[in-house]
Order: sequence, then structure tokens, then C-alpha cells
Amino acid sequence: MLAKVKVASAWLDACGGCHMSFLDLDEALIDLANAIELTATPITDIKQFSPVDVGIIEGAVGNEHDEQVVKDLRANCKILMAWGDCACFGGIASMRNLFDTEKVLHRYYSTESTAKDSKVPSSEELPPLTKVRPINEVVKVDCYVPGCPPSPKAIHYALAELLQGRIPVVPSEIMRFD
Amino acid sequence: MNEITLTINGKQVKGKAGDTVLEICQANGIDMPTLCHLEGLSDVGACRMCVVEIEKERRPVPACTYPARDGLVVQTNTERLERYRRQILELIFTEHNHFCMFCEASGDCELQKLAYRYQMDNVRYPYTLPSLAVDSLSDYLVIDHNRCILCGRCIRACGELAASHTLDFSHRGWKTVVTADLEQPLGESSCLLCGACVQACPTGAIFGKLNLYKGREDECQQIHTVCPVCGVGCELNVLVKDNNLVKIEALSLAEPRGPLCRMGRFELLRETRPRVTSPMVRGKQGELKECSLDRAVEVIAGRLAKAKDGFAGMVSTRVPSETLSLFHRLIRKVIGSDSIDTLDGEGYRIIAEGVRQFQGNGRGLGIECPIEDILQADCIIVVGADPGKTNPIVCTLVRRAMLQKQAKLIVIDPSRDVFPLWTDLWLKPRAGSEGDLLIGLAKILIDKGLVEPVSAELIKSFSQYRMGEVVRTTGIEERGLELVAEMYRRAKHGVIIYGEGLLQTNDASAVTAILNLANMTGNQVGDRLRVISLKPRANSRGAWELGLAEGIKKDKPKGLYLLLADEPESEELLARLRGIGFLVVQASYHSPVTAMADVVLPSPIWAEREGKYVTMDGRVLELKQVLQPKDGLPQDQEVLKAISQKLGRKLT
Repeated sequence: MLAKVKVASAWLDACGGCHMSFLDLDEALIDLANAIELTATPITDIKQFSPVDVGIIEGAVGNEHDEQVVKDLRANCKILMAWGDCACFGGIASMRNLFDTEKVLHRYYSTESTAKDSKVPSSEELPPLTKVRPINEVVKVDCYVPGCPPSPKAIHYALAELLQGRIPVVPSEIMRFD
Repeated sequence: MNEITLTINGKQVKGKAGDTVLEICQANGIDMPTLCHLEGLSDVGACRMCVVEIEKERRPVPACTYPARDGLVVQTNTERLERYRRQILELIFTEHNHFCMFCEASGDCELQKLAYRYQMDNVRYPYTLPSLAVDSLSDYLVIDHNRCILCGRCIRACGELAASHTLDFSHRGWKTVVTADLEQPLGESSCLLCGACVQACPTGAIFGKLNLYKGREDECQQIHTVCPVCGVGCELNVLVKDNNLVKIEALSLAEPRGPLCRMGRFELLRETRPRVTSPMVRGKQGELKECSLDRAVEVIAGRLAKAKDGFAGMVSTRVPSETLSLFHRLIRKVIGSDSIDTLDGEGYRIIAEGVRQFQGNGRGLGIECPIEDILQADCIIVVGADPGKTNPIVCTLVRRAMLQKQAKLIVIDPSRDVFPLWTDLWLKPRAGSEGDLLIGLAKILIDKGLVEPVSAELIKSFSQYRMGEVVRTTGIEERGLELVAEMYRRAKHGVIIYGEGLLQTNDASAVTAILNLANMTGNQVGDRLRVISLKPRANSRGAWELGLAEGIKKDKPKGLYLLLADEPESEELLARLRGIGFLVVQASYHSPVTAMADVVLPSPIWAEREGKYVTMDGRVLELKQVLQPKDGLPQDQEVLKAISQKLGRKLT
């Protein structure tokens, strides 16, 4: 049996829908499980990546922590793949670029909050928000699967192409931005 | 035609001199991506998607603005051009908010389709993403400047097709935005709400409020039909999903009637009147009670058997010809009454009498020219008409003639200038004296010998009028009348438009004077005169020509069958109906009219019925059924047939 392809994935400034869409591959996951080994995912709580063949990122870079994760994964993978409109283009996450960070936090923690006396949390451990950027504004990205979320079909296509040793470009017929 | 031959992608293709390279590509089936190009609009080369390589040109040029020449060697799909096109898309995407997941246009967006085509899975440039305004205060339209790609299609549609010139660019460079008037909110601007810009917009930057969240184009059935509102007869493409109206568009935006108007594009979608969902008859306590169709028909037949000749029929001219013809036969043949009219019949009788006095024969409305004739005009007289209210496309055509043919516009109206800011000369005769004014104009042309040859008969017929009398009655100086007469006479292509206001003066000689004016100045095409009477409803002309506008003999007939369909009621109609002994109303919606009725019958709305309409200039168009009737309600014809059958006559 061939050695499995090692894959690590991360979830940054995004809703998690891309990983949900990945799980929607359903029975195709069984075949994939025979071909790939997931070394880290958004639910493994692994702080640092070990070297893998393919790194996958869902979400845009929205704070300093995101930036560290992206750089760490980039350094530890041969091929970096962006999943979803946030990672590919900035997507819905980047809509907050239209406003000041302060205003965004205030809106989130004060004006719309149902909790009494809630205020913007502050702690040295909380990474400061930065301008929201697509992944390729921070590190080099090798391939992209756009979509909000990407369809399971597009995700499957991209993974299958990688397993065949090709860099995937999602065909027009299945490419969607919504 | 000067034929030219080009080489495109190594193949010889033909075109004609004056074509652009894009036109030749499209005519020869050569695929070419475009974004700022739209059929019917001028080309500006704004988006650069259609760049091509042309031998001896130093750099790629946009095909849409490049004039083709004999012998050009063109490449449309080299690797370099495809790379440029994707790059252009990336730059467009970074300029504003083009994230599709929360855009109403997603799925129907030309920008998105091109991005898919060029497999644009990432963008290599930083986003500028300025925070721009969303103007949603207009009644029917929203402009989201964040979705705008500055292609200018809306601006050109507004200027060139709708001839409104409300929209234009303001500011420069990065700060360029589409603006209404001098940076007015759209709802407070000169916008006429025709919605041509909505149909022209390739993205989600301008959209119709009433179309929101109802469905995407590919989920809809598209039906080619005709607008049921006024007599112009614009051809529509109606989008329907799950038996709901999603959107109304022009079948072809580029056609003279293509811009549509607020009534056809939007107001039809805003219907809120409650539907008549069952036949009803008045009970013992005087209240209307729902009942079966059989029962309602029984009540009607019972009353009709007693009161034959005192009975009258009245019908809306929004009803298609087939149903009108059946209604006609029901009233004339089955009920045996010669009292029949349309709701707008009064105006017709004046037009018909005016035409008869002019020619003494029965050519009737066939003497008028098609409304497209306005586009060629260099002088337009609008008398006693407010096309902006009744037939907005006529306004559009008038403005187009003014912009494109430098036509002069003369408005004759006692109360207001119906083309504010556009009118060259507004004559304000005393109310009711419009006919005298027109006679005065004709008389000036004859008396001063400005037109010839004029028949002795005509000279004689005008000799009964005195200019002094005309001046006194109209309150307009002779010099003013002379000025207008002179402007109209000098025109190579003069069109006279008249309507409701003039007909309300009840003066058939005004109509005759108009026809005489057009005739003596040679304003005719073939056997038609360049005269247009505005017909208020979609099938006014059809109904009039079928003989339904004969008139009701008595002011208050013993009984009246009113087929109102979905026409809105008016104060005037309510006044006419008061005091009628027995009133049957067949209507789509509950209203004060149905509240007065003794029997109420259901009627389908425009979208649920089908049949032929005759436009105001005589074209026969097909109204198609686009929705299934609500709750399986019967068609008008079924109801009419049921009544007839009850009376012992079978109508087919």
C-alpha cells in the first residue's frame, strides 16, 4: 500500500461552512480516508503543524493569530490550498474592512449585545484585529477552491486532482462564488 | 452596402463598412466576452473585455469601438488576450464590493459569469473596497454603488433609450460614481422610474425593489406577452416562478418601446387590492353573500328575462378582443339590447366623428401613424394630452426625437406644461378652447397662403371662422398662433399628438382641425397622417373597432352588466353607476364598484387571461396567460357563456 498523503487544515476568519461542505462529501470520504491522513483539523487543537504534503485553509486572515497560523502552515506544507471565498478573496469576512475596527467591536459587543453591561473584552492574550486579507496577500497559495461554501463537488475535484499529482483549477462549470 | 473582408483568427469573414470589429465577430458567430456593450446602446470601450490584437496596432484595442476596415487581420483569443481579460476581471473585482454571497444578482450576474468563464479563483491585487452609498429611497429602484463596475450601461440606457438623462457619471478616476442629476437621491431626481437601467445593469448595482428575493432567472419560466396597461402595447418578457410574478422586462430593450415605463415594469407587481374569489349575490338583508356561479347566473338570468331593452353592457378595454366579442354578442344578440359601451367609449366617439368630418368615410383610426413615427419628427405638437400619465412611452419617444433629431416641442394645454423643462413653446388657451386654437392654426395657414394647394371646399369650410373670434376665445394673441403655425409648417416631419384633455372638450371639430393641419402641410406617410391619438387602455382600439363603443342610450339604464376586469375604478365611473336599478359587476378586485353591485362575478387579472390586443397604432399582439387563475377561478368567457346558456342561447 502506498503511503498516505498527509493533510492538515485550519479554520481562520470564516464561518466553518467550508469544512461542513467537506463533510458533505459523504461516502466519498471513505475512499479519501484510505488515501489521505489528516494530521490536524480545526477540532484537533494542535498548536503547531507538523510537516504535511497539503495544507488547507478556510477563512481570511483577520488578526495577528490568523497570520501566525497561515505562516506556520505555509512553512510546513508542500502545497497550500485555499478553501472558500474568504480564503480566496476575503469574502464576507472582509466586509468589516468597510468600517473601523473599533466600530466593528463596539457594534458586536455593545450595541447588539443582549448581555448586560457587556463591553469590548481586552486582554493581552487576545490577538488584535487587523485588516481582513485573503490568504494570498499574506503567503503564497498554490491552489484555490472558491465558493461560499465551495460545493462538495468542487472540493472533491480539487482533492482528487492533488492525489493525481496535479495542481487543481476548478473548472468553470462547477465554479461558484455563492 | 460596402462589403469588406477581414481575417479573424485566420478565417476570412465578411462585414459591411461602418461595422465595428465586435459587430462583425458577433455576426459571424465568433465568441467574444463583453461587459459594457449592450445591444441598442452606443459603444464606449469602458470595460476592455473585448480587447483584440490587430496587425500593425501596437497594443490590443477594444473590438467594440474599433471600426472594421477591409483587410484587417484580427486575433480574438490569443493566450495574451485571455490573460489580459482575466486580469481586467481581477481589477474590477478589487475595485468595489463584488462578493457574491450576499448579492441579489448572484446567479444572474454578467460579471460573475465572466469570472467563472475565466476561472478567476483568486485575485492578485489588493482590494480598495471603498464604503459607498446605497440609495434605496426611490419607489421602485435601488442603486448600490458598491456593486457598480462603472460600465455606464445604465447611463446610456437612461440617455439613449429612455431619453431621460437622469443618470450620469460624477467625479473622476477612483472616485467616479453613477449619479442621478446633480448628486440627488434617485427618488428626488428627474428619474421617471422606467427601469431601463435595471434591465441594462450587468451586476447587482441597480435593481428593482419589487423583484427582490423572488427568484433567479434560471429558476423562472419566461413568457413573451404584451403589456396590459395602456394602448402603446410594449412587448414584455415576464418571469414567473411557482405561479408568482418575479420580474417584468422588455422583450427587447433596444426597441423604441423597449425602455418600458413604471406602469408596465413595476406597478403591475405592486398590486394590493383584494381579489374577488367567488361569485356573490345580494341577500335579503342587502349584504353581498358568496354563492356558486350557478346561483349567480340564475339571479342574473331572472332579472334579464324581465328587463331586456332597458339593459346595458359596459366593458373595460383591458379585456382582450375574443372576450370583448363574446360580450358584444351576449349584450346585442342574447340579451337583445343595443346599449353597449366601453369605459373609454366617449373619447372614441369624438375621434370617430372628427375623422368622419374630415374625410366623410369610415377609415377611422387607420388614418393615424405608428408611434415610432415620432422618432423621426422635427416638430411635435402635443395638444390636450398628458402622455407622461397615460402613455409614458410616447413621452420617451418625444424626448428621443428632441435629443436625436433636434425636434421642437409645442405644448397646447390650458392647465399645465406636460413636458416641463423640455417644452420649446407652451400655449395656454382658455380651458375648452383648444379646438378653436387648432382651427385658428389651420386658418392662418390657409389665409396666409402658407400651404398649397388647398381645396376650395376646405377654404370655404374655414371661412366661417374669424381670427378675432379665435383670439378672443382662446385668449392667445394672433402673433403666438402665427408663430406655432409657422413652426409646424416649416417642419419636414411634424407630428401632432392629442389625448384625453382634448377629447374631454367634447369637440369633434378639434380632431378634424388636427387632421386638416397634418393633411394641408403634407405630414403624411402613405395614406396615414402624422397624427396620433392617445388611447388609454391596452385594447381600446380593439374594442372600438369591434363596435363596442356605441354608447349607452339612457343615462341611467334599468340594468347594467359591467365587465370591469382588473381596471381600477374612477370617481367618474362610480358616479355613472349610482342609481342604476340592477348592477352586475364582473371584476378581479373588490372595490367601491363591487360594493355597489347586486351580483358580483369573478374575473381573472391580466396575468391569468389570454387573447388579442390591438395597440393604439393598430398592431395585433398576443396577451399570453402567465399565471394559473387564483383558486381555479373561471375565465371571463366561461362566465359569459354560462349566462348566455341560462338565457337559452349558446355562445361559442
